[in-house]
Amino acid sequence: MFWLKLVFKSAWSRKYSLSLVAVSVCLSVIVLLGVQQIRADAKHSFSNALSGVDLVVGPRGSQTDLLLYSVFQLGTPTQNMPYADLQRIKEMPAVAWTIPIQLGDSFDGFPVMGTSVDFFKHYRSSGTPLSFQSGQAFQDPSDDANSLLQVVVGAEVAESKKLKLQDAFALTHGYQAIEETVHSDHPFKLVGILKPTGTPLDRSVLISLEAFEALHVGWGFGLRPSAFDAKPDLQSSLPSMAELRPSELTAVWLGLHSRTDVFAARKAIEGMTPTKSSVPLMAVLPGVALDELWQIVRVVENALIVMGILVAICSLLGVVSVLLVGLSARRKELAIYRSLGAGPLSIFKLVALESFLVCLFAIVGGVIGTQILIFLLQDPLLQSFGIQTRHVWPSSDAWLSIGLLLGCALLASLLPAWRAYRMSLSDGLNPPN
Amino acid sequence: MTVSALELSNIEFSWSKQLAPLFSIESLFLQQGQTLFIGGPSGCGKTSLLSLITGIQLARQGNCQVLGTSLGQLSSSERDRFRGEHLGLIFQQFNLLPFLTVQENIELPSKLFASRYNKSVQHFGSVQKHVDILCDALHLSLDLRQRQANLLSVGEQQRVAAARALLGCPALIVADEPTSALDEENKIDFLKLLLTTARAQNSSVITVSHDMRISAQFDQIFLMPSSESKHVLA
Repeated sequence: MFWLKLVFKSAWSRKYSLSLVAVSVCLSVIVLLGVQQIRADAKHSFSNALSGVDLVVGPRGSQTDLLLYSVFQLGTPTQNMPYADLQRIKEMPAVAWTIPIQLGDSFDGFPVMGTSVDFFKHYRSSGTPLSFQSGQAFQDPSDDANSLLQVVVGAEVAESKKLKLQDAFALTHGYQAIEETVHSDHPFKLVGILKPTGTPLDRSVLISLEAFEALHVGWGFGLRPSAFDAKPDLQSSLPSMAELRPSELTAVWLGLHSRTDVFAARKAIEGMTPTKSSVPLMAVLPGVALDELWQIVRVVENALIVMGILVAICSLLGVVSVLLVGLSARRKELAIYRSLGAGPLSIFKLVALESFLVCLFAIVGGVIGTQILIFLLQDPLLQSFGIQTRHVWPSSDAWLSIGLLLGCALLASLLPAWRAYRMSLSDGLNPPN
Repeated sequence: MTVSALELSNIEFSWSKQLAPLFSIESLFLQQGQTLFIGGPSGCGKTSLLSLITGIQLARQGNCQVLGTSLGQLSSSERDRFRGEHLGLIFQQFNLLPFLTVQENIELPSKLFASRYNKSVQHFGSVQKHVDILCDALHLSLDLRQRQANLLSVGEQQRVAAARALLGCPALIVADEPTSALDEENKIDFLKLLLTTARAQNSSVITVSHDMRISAQFDQIFLMPSSESKHVLA
């Protein structure tokens, strides 16, 4: 205890140089843990892009492709599923709800998703229901035909295009915006802006399935009808709601009454007897498939971890070098300890203890600092980078890193301690001035 | 039988890589309670002799007995412990831990070794009482005791170092050039204080210095031998 007190007092007398060392270790811990936490949160956001959805149904093919285009709006589907199959799925007793998805159009590079009002009822981002920055969900056009051309946008879309409620804009057929492919006949009115979710939804533009269908009435060869006959306004001549029922869907997300039925439901969907117009379907468990998809970005993830480790190692080497340089100035102090009866081994322990304690304090500071930073930066991270951070206690991975870092700190502290031991053996009671 | 504070016989000392011994001493004896001045020019091995007496180094040959214990027969850690328990050391300059107060510096030996603590308690009632007596004897005011050691003058530092060396009544005080940082007037004053206080608790004192002017204060004088003459005892 006495030695510990002595270590503290001695270290305090060199507080400026030691605090620089501690700050450098602290920052490296923040980098290491911050990278780990953000990586874990990014993965969590990614894996929870479809939380609450038990199965994703689409035409049979690649599971990864189905998720990429139906959830992340990356790539294009090669085949659609008939709308009639949605009715058959809905009728299954295990199915609690369904969200139909129709893709293919865009708004200035942001994908447009045709869906139903059920989307706003059942979609969960990391277990949280959707909420709006402003406005509300679009209305069901079957209830009110005037609400057909209403649109809801994700947070990133609104931010990027500086959109506000009641703004009107036209969507683009496909992903190439040239005059003939813009649905300028059907300007949409913005009725809702979603809060950031950290999922692909932030980059999505949501309209009703009926609106999606209405956009394409009269289209041919990927060009708008007015490109052929210069009809000024199609809105007045829109067909009735019954006629706007889509014939095809890109995918269907569905929730079950009980998750234990998930395999039975998948089997039932994949085993549905094909009708004349239908195609064989597949049902994918999103959690499993998303985890598989995450493996694609594994290299980036590993690169981040390696970067964090390198920063931590460099910082620990910095500690060693500063302590080694500082030892020359401490030769007199060490000689006084020896004159008082301390052996070289005690000097070794004393210096090792000090180095270790400096690292320990810095690491504890780093852990707390990371938590504070993540708490302070959670909004900018979500808004600018789409990463939904969770303010949770460090994960087991993070604790492992902290443990390893402490182990390395202990090893690093042995070097100045060994040097002090050697110096104290050779200096004895006569350190050089 | 006379109790010896120091007994050297047929000592030869050299740094390991040197072939010729740095110095040789046939015999040197100091009775317990007596004071010894070891003189000689710079580089003759005075400080090396002190590191033999304090058990930091071992002689290549001969017997070095301190307070009746032959240091050559002790292990390195036993010698460290022996030094801490029975010896009080004073140096030319680097005497105090600058980050501790005067009081904390003086108390160090009693914190490190129970035997030093017990002796203070046994002879003076408590460590604090012993500190008070030493500080009074060495003219260290109450106000000064709470001051940080790095804020003291050289003279004050030497007196605090003497108090620390004397705490816990070690049988032998070893001082290496204790007055070389002091001016002429303070040299003798400091030595007198040191020797008087040491005598009061029956501690022997060994001092090495190149300054022969202070030698008159000691009971015994030993001049480090040159290469021609092996030793001179005055």
